[in-house]
Amino acid sequence: MSKLLQEIEAQIAGAELAVKRQNVGIVRESGDGVVKIDGLSDVMLNEMLDFGNGVTGLALNLEETEVGAIILGSGAGIREGQEVRTTGKLLQVPAGKALLGRVVDALGRPLDGKGPVTAEASYPVERVAAGIIARKSVSQPVQTGIMAIDAMIPIGRGQRELIIGDRSTGKTAIGIDTIISQAHLNRAAESAGDKSYRPLYCIYVAIGQKQSSVARVVSVLEEAGAMPYTIVVSATAADSATNQYLAPFAGAAMGEWFMDNNMDALIIYDDLSKHAVAYRQVSLVLKRPSGREAYPGDVFYLHSRLLERSARVSEKFGGGSLTGLPIIETQAGDVSAYIPTNVISITDGQIYLETDLFYQGIRPAVSVGLSVSRVGSAAQIKAMKQVAGRLKGDLAQFRELAAFAQFGSDLDAGTKGKIERGQRIVELFKQPQYKPVPVEMQVAILWTAQNSYLDDVPVERIREFQEKLTDHLSGRKAELLGRIVREKVLGEELAAALKAAVEEFKATWA
Amino acid sequence: MRATRKSKTDAKRLADVCMPGGVPDEARVRRAVTLLLEQKPRGYAAVAQQFLRRVRLQMRRRTAIVESAAPIPDAIRAELVSGLTARYGAGLEFEYVENAGLIGGVRVQVGSDVFDGSVRGRLQQLQAKMNE
Repeated sequence: MSKLLQEIEAQIAGAELAVKRQNVGIVRESGDGVVKIDGLSDVMLNEMLDFGNGVTGLALNLEETEVGAIILGSGAGIREGQEVRTTGKLLQVPAGKALLGRVVDALGRPLDGKGPVTAEASYPVERVAAGIIARKSVSQPVQTGIMAIDAMIPIGRGQRELIIGDRSTGKTAIGIDTIISQAHLNRAAESAGDKSYRPLYCIYVAIGQKQSSVARVVSVLEEAGAMPYTIVVSATAADSATNQYLAPFAGAAMGEWFMDNNMDALIIYDDLSKHAVAYRQVSLVLKRPSGREAYPGDVFYLHSRLLERSARVSEKFGGGSLTGLPIIETQAGDVSAYIPTNVISITDGQIYLETDLFYQGIRPAVSVGLSVSRVGSAAQIKAMKQVAGRLKGDLAQFRELAAFAQFGSDLDAGTKGKIERGQRIVELFKQPQYKPVPVEMQVAILWTAQNSYLDDVPVERIREFQEKLTDHLSGRKAELLGRIVREKVLGEELAAALKAAVEEFKATWA
Repeated sequence: MRATRKSKTDAKRLADVCMPGGVPDEARVRRAVTLLLEQKPRGYAAVAQQFLRRVRLQMRRRTAIVESAAPIPDAIRAELVSGLTARYGAGLEFEYVENAGLIGGVRVQVGSDVFDGSVRGRLQQLQAKMNE
């Protein structure tokens, strides 16, 4: 009891009774989530403002005689003449492992009804990206589990790879498949007690989407058991434009926590077209000068500073990585529009999805010719490089020859062979949704194709052959697949074992 | 009446002339307004509004509003004047307001700066802390 009294006495003695200077302003105008304030002479850019009653704002425009701020959340209770105070704090969101498995809003407040988030840290929403000295080159792969991507457009940890395509071409599906693939890999490493595997945590940022779409994504992730490794940041179409503008930055801040603490994270921004639209709305209401397509002049900087925060940093600076997968929706396949060209030029490559391919049944509808990964090949495992090295070229040749083949049936044996090989590769790359293929299986399947074991299989039966081969290898040759994972290179002995396994299967195939 | 960019620039130029060094020169301000309303240049109403806003903001910066629940004794007033003059420089105007809503203590506002030593202010701070 006496200890309690002592503690209280000490607290009272230490209590600060002096009057502190506060900086205040008066609301002059309010509308569309934007407030104009007189006063606030000491306000900082991006400082949080206190409107009282739990309403917070963010100072975005500092002008000579007024301050333009955006309201975070509902601005319904804000009146003209109301007092506003500076807080001395920049906008921050909770960060840490406590957020995994949760659905939060742009300010990190839970939306899933699972109680409050008790996060280890708070991270600033706006932060300067890691510098040149802190960075390290990309060398570890992100296994998306999608064969077409892992083989031909590989993504490395710390890379920014754009997913671009028209509406409903499977852009979100690629992101979700990647998250599910990470969950499988993380769980497999956990159950095997593999300490050398670095789990990849995922952050899915939904910007301006329908609430039903976000709910569907969350339920898919829950069904696939991926939520324990995933944070969902949601700023749906029902949220204010300001929250939609802030959501990707909040997600990036959460991802940076993993990067700074020697962990790897992957962030999917779904999608940055809607983000640009939300930012345009905020900027126009703030009366910032508009440029092309009425976007403000700094829309490039908006996305470049966001995507620059994805990086792989050296051990001295945290040792982690943040991989960025921004999504852009094009209109009628036009990649030369303003926002798509901006984001294409910022990222380290793009996965281009085509509507035509999608409706031809080639899903994922990855256009191999237009898709590229500028840094990811350094992160591919050697075994994959051995089997996938020539694939892109083979497919390009196939497409060129396929166009010729339409005009005449007299083809020489070489051309015919190339076309048939191409058709089989295209079939191999068709993959159902939410079914990621592990890298060792991808290597085995592609090795089979490269070594002409598919040449005598009819094109329409390739899928069936692949499924049966997968069953055979995973059921009876698990040890062989394990060796591919461990050795990461197809040596002579391993190639011979793989050959024996495939021939054994082929003998039973009819 | 919409404030155009031109009206804002004109008002700024007028304010710079009438308030050298940020201190409003009353004679100049009066003369500027009289001339503006007499000559009525294009968009003069918007310019006048913007000019008024600038003068009001500048005067607010040079005025200390001292609110208290009860009348402040002369000795404390003198102390307040010397303290605030030391912080904000000479030429500060003082406006004393009695506000029973403060319950007790004093609240001083100079421009955007507020020193809230009132009982109401303390209670509000406490409420905000409890709500955190």
